[in-house]
Amino acid sequence: MKQTPDIKPIATALLVAPAAILMFGVFVLPFLFLVVLSFWSQVPGSLGLDPTFTLANYARIISDSYYLGGLWTTLWLSGLVTLLCLVLALPLARWIVLHAKRTKGLLIGLCILPLVCGALLPTLGLVNLLSPLGFINGALKSMGLIKTSLPLLGNIAGVSIGLIQAFLPLMILPLISTNERIPHDYEKAAMSLGATRLVAWRRVLLPLMLPGIVAGSLLVFCASLTAFVTPQILGQGKVVTFASLAYQQAAMVLDWPFASALGMVMLLFLALAGILGALVSRGLGRSS
Amino acid sequence: MTSRFGKAMLLAAVVATLLFLLAPILVLILSAFDSGNVFRFPPRVLSFRWFETALNHSEYRSSLWISTVLGLISTVIAVGLASLAAFGLVRGKPSYRLAMEVLLLAPLTLPLVVWAIALLSIYAQLGINGTLPGLILAHVTITMPFATRIMIAAFDEIDPNLEAAAKSLGASPWQVVRRITLPLARPGLLSSMAIAFLVSFNDVVVTTLIAGAGWITFPVRTFSRLRTEGIDPTTIAIGAMIVAFTILVIVLGQRLFQLSRRF
Repeated sequence: MKQTPDIKPIATALLVAPAAILMFGVFVLPFLFLVVLSFWSQVPGSLGLDPTFTLANYARIISDSYYLGGLWTTLWLSGLVTLLCLVLALPLARWIVLHAKRTKGLLIGLCILPLVCGALLPTLGLVNLLSPLGFINGALKSMGLIKTSLPLLGNIAGVSIGLIQAFLPLMILPLISTNERIPHDYEKAAMSLGATRLVAWRRVLLPLMLPGIVAGSLLVFCASLTAFVTPQILGQGKVVTFASLAYQQAAMVLDWPFASALGMVMLLFLALAGILGALVSRGLGRSS
Repeated sequence: MTSRFGKAMLLAAVVATLLFLLAPILVLILSAFDSGNVFRFPPRVLSFRWFETALNHSEYRSSLWISTVLGLISTVIAVGLASLAAFGLVRGKPSYRLAMEVLLLAPLTLPLVVWAIALLSIYAQLGINGTLPGLILAHVTITMPFATRIMIAAFDEIDPNLEAAAKSLGASPWQVVRRITLPLARPGLLSSMAIAFLVSFNDVVVTTLIAGAGWITFPVRTFSRLRTEGIDPTTIAIGAMIVAFTILVIVLGQRLFQLSRRF
């Protein structure tokens, strides 16, 4: 069905053009340049680029256990963060949709707060909470639960906590919007037909929430995979994630072709995650 | 009984999750009012001394100033371009609308750190590395998608018949835009300005790669000094003010134009 436009095609084109040109020139072109750059090399000891085709950057990533290790750490860390975000966000999103009436908008506003505050400021608060002399260790010690401080900074535990805190909103928002489309009494209906709450969730609610689960998981996984501010601060240089490796190469070593190759590897895994998500959604569409 | 127990458990889980989500932000705000010489929580003695230090310190002031100016300029350009494009897509209904939305919203899904690496090497080749125009261009690019998404939704909500009616009553196209479309789109415009400004103001990832030495925003300054200086109370005081400002914008936006629904 073709809709009739309210303004002339030429006017439409003129209105859209500035934004489109900017987005293409400043956002899309650099990604294309990144592909090319990853097959170039840096002239040693200078900022000049040598545009002869080489696979050396990729060979270096595959052959060096430092980079492979960083990649592996980042992948499973992102998977763990995604899973934990899902576990935390499911009850929260369901509760906000079902029970938060007048406070709903405000609660969603609070949920997006970590997103608009940026990665840095909440992480500063976390450094304080997690440090050996910080609030959490202090509270646990005064309750007599632990004698020596738990190490929560400079390790995977700290980085995971930071990433979950930063990216939980990315899971909550899609889950809220899918939950809003599920009629409120489905859970009760299933339970009145003899299902326990667990069965009602597993057989009725979770399948209906799956589009939101897939979307949220993709967002959190991709954000964690490419995060570097949070891992950099909470990992204190001891947790090497892939994005911080790329950042070091680009900002400190100034080896841009190699940084580009590291970026390409990240894009590859994001694309794989996206394909996996699409397959899961499509499999669902067919089975239901 | 079990149902009531289940409900209580659910509520406890919800409260704990919200607390976890907001705890770091609360800590930041409360610690800023402590008089101690180090960043500590819980605060022990109420004091405003770090706010005074922050406001009197020229280096902090200049980085805040840079953040504000950069945020304002980028917001105006991004919201302007996004509104034009969104209006064109919604009212013009071109066949390429979907493809254009994918292009205009791309920065929301693609990793900014990877993009910033590429942009940095392009800027270096062009020689605009570390300049204000280069930085503004980068900030417009990361804030525009947020504004575009909000403005598309805002124009979609406006009934085109209202504009048609005004036109049939003899209003010129410019009068229609100024008297009908813009007032109706105001909640969307204000929301996109708020979000665009906050995104630009709080960005670390892109700015830290692009900014160079001349245009150090407050978040970049804090991030780059973290290794050497740690977290000093002045930074916490400024951080608390920024977070408080962010909360204020979100709460006000929520009250006045249901910001969270538009995000």
